[in-house]
Amino acid sequence: MASFDVMPNVQLYQPAELDDALELADRLGEQGWLLGGGQDTYGWLKDRAKNPQAMIDLNGIEALKGIRETADGIEIGAATTLRDIIRNPLLKERYRLLVDAASRVASPQIRNVGTLGGNLVQDTRCWYYRRGLSCYRAGGNLCYADSPEGMNREHALFGASRCVAVSPSDTATAMVALDATMVINSVDGERTVPASKFFAGPATHITRMTSLEPGEILAAVRLPSKWAGKRFYFEKVADRNVWDFALVSIAVAMDVSDNVIGECRFVCGGVAAVPYRLNKVEQAARGQSLGDATGDKLAPLAAQGARPLNYNHFKMPLMENLVRRAMRG
Amino acid sequence: MDIATFKNDVWGREVLLGVSWDLLWVILIVSFLFIAVHAVYKAARKKPRKPSSDGPRLKRHDGIDRLFHWVMAASIFVLLITGILPIIGIEFSWLTIHWVAGIVLTVVVVFHIVRSLFWQDLKSMWISPRDLKEPFDDTVKPGKYSLAQKCMHLGVTVLTLAVIATGIGLFAMIDTPWWNRTNSLSEATLGWLFFIHGLSTLLLVATISLHVYFGVRPEKLFYLRSMLKGWVSRDELDANHDASRWSPDESA
Repeated sequence: MASFDVMPNVQLYQPAELDDALELADRLGEQGWLLGGGQDTYGWLKDRAKNPQAMIDLNGIEALKGIRETADGIEIGAATTLRDIIRNPLLKERYRLLVDAASRVASPQIRNVGTLGGNLVQDTRCWYYRRGLSCYRAGGNLCYADSPEGMNREHALFGASRCVAVSPSDTATAMVALDATMVINSVDGERTVPASKFFAGPATHITRMTSLEPGEILAAVRLPSKWAGKRFYFEKVADRNVWDFALVSIAVAMDVSDNVIGECRFVCGGVAAVPYRLNKVEQAARGQSLGDATGDKLAPLAAQGARPLNYNHFKMPLMENLVRRAMRG
Repeated sequence: MDIATFKNDVWGREVLLGVSWDLLWVILIVSFLFIAVHAVYKAARKKPRKPSSDGPRLKRHDGIDRLFHWVMAASIFVLLITGILPIIGIEFSWLTIHWVAGIVLTVVVVFHIVRSLFWQDLKSMWISPRDLKEPFDDTVKPGKYSLAQKCMHLGVTVLTLAVIATGIGLFAMIDTPWWNRTNSLSEATLGWLFFIHGLSTLLLVATISLHVYFGVRPEKLFYLRSMLKGWVSRDELDANHDASRWSPDESA
């Protein structure tokens, strides 16, 4: 694949109002590229692996920015930067899980401009797909990663259906763990989708990572008060401590009373095309005490049902150990 | 309009990707136009006497053959729906349903082949020179099956065997409860499998559309009934068939 130092010829729209952006998104459809912080845009375009006609820059739309308190929790605009999320006192106090997840995204420089929406809807990092090969995800008819010679160290353990790519988003796991609601706008109006249904696996949507349809814009994320101030744990394991994607990450939200776990969410990143909920771990954790003993009991359940590929078996003990670490009192 | 789509393989060579699904709309429009023109033509023509369904009942299809027909029909409809809807943008988790229906189709087709070879009159489905006179001479009546029915059977046979053969190849390329996918086929070979699978599917859409249309035409409804209940009346046989070429039992 050829490399280019320059951007391709692409039209740039910079709407100031959400309605204008929605009209543009509707008119341009799949030929319009929604631009947040742009951290996952320029590589695609410079490599000519994606060739949209136009970019719709959402950064000038104030309605898509900010962190607001609502009757039932907090609403975060999709164009809010990760830096603003990390620094927000309300989020620090009530939803530390999201703050921790956001603070592990990439690098400080990227977090300064990268947006929550962009981080949530970013495309997968599968190197075959990124290189511009015509795999299933790119509309082709095979998967290069899941082949006898495929290099798939960073690919999926769960939920693969032809494509074995994983979701690279750190904040996505937190959103699922916090039972967030995604607010999606289009020219037809507004719809809301639970975070657990927002991310899409290849069995249903093999060419995209979310349930966003062409013409739709993720406008905001709502965090319910249900999980405000609960016990959280986030950990990300990557090859480097900065500016790298998760090999496996875990986001945990627990309602703990007298050291006994009530309702809880255990969500892993880097192991499936969507944030992967550890349902068996959650069921087994309820009614248990926080501590190493419980961690040892829950850990073997974490990777049950995994279907490892050639080079990603290591993710299974990694998941187990992340569950153990989350359960430390 | 292209018949096929192409891509570059991992080495940068251009290889076949599959059929061009733009053809689906052409197939649907052409099928619809044919049906519309035929319906108008039949409506304009003088209607022949409708034979009575009363009187002795003659067996046309055994229960096992009727069951085969409807299981095959159901599996083909499931295959077409699960195969085509995601392509036209209606996305759902289709793959497992698709290959399960494919297995059902394969099993019933194998069963039908064995049964037709050893327990049925294979010649009743052969197209003979005499059959070719049927469309042009009202006095020439068919045996058990008319030329149109034999052509339909031949078309469905060829297309179904094509989708099954290519489907088995593609089935090996996905994970199933019994094996992990092999990815052993070259991209060019895979492209040909997808192309034949897709093209056969498109032609099946046309064939099945016509089959359903002719199945529900008023003068053909007794055939539909015979595929449901197994029998035709003596009057229906005499009006549409040559008793010297097909004389069924009065055992229905």
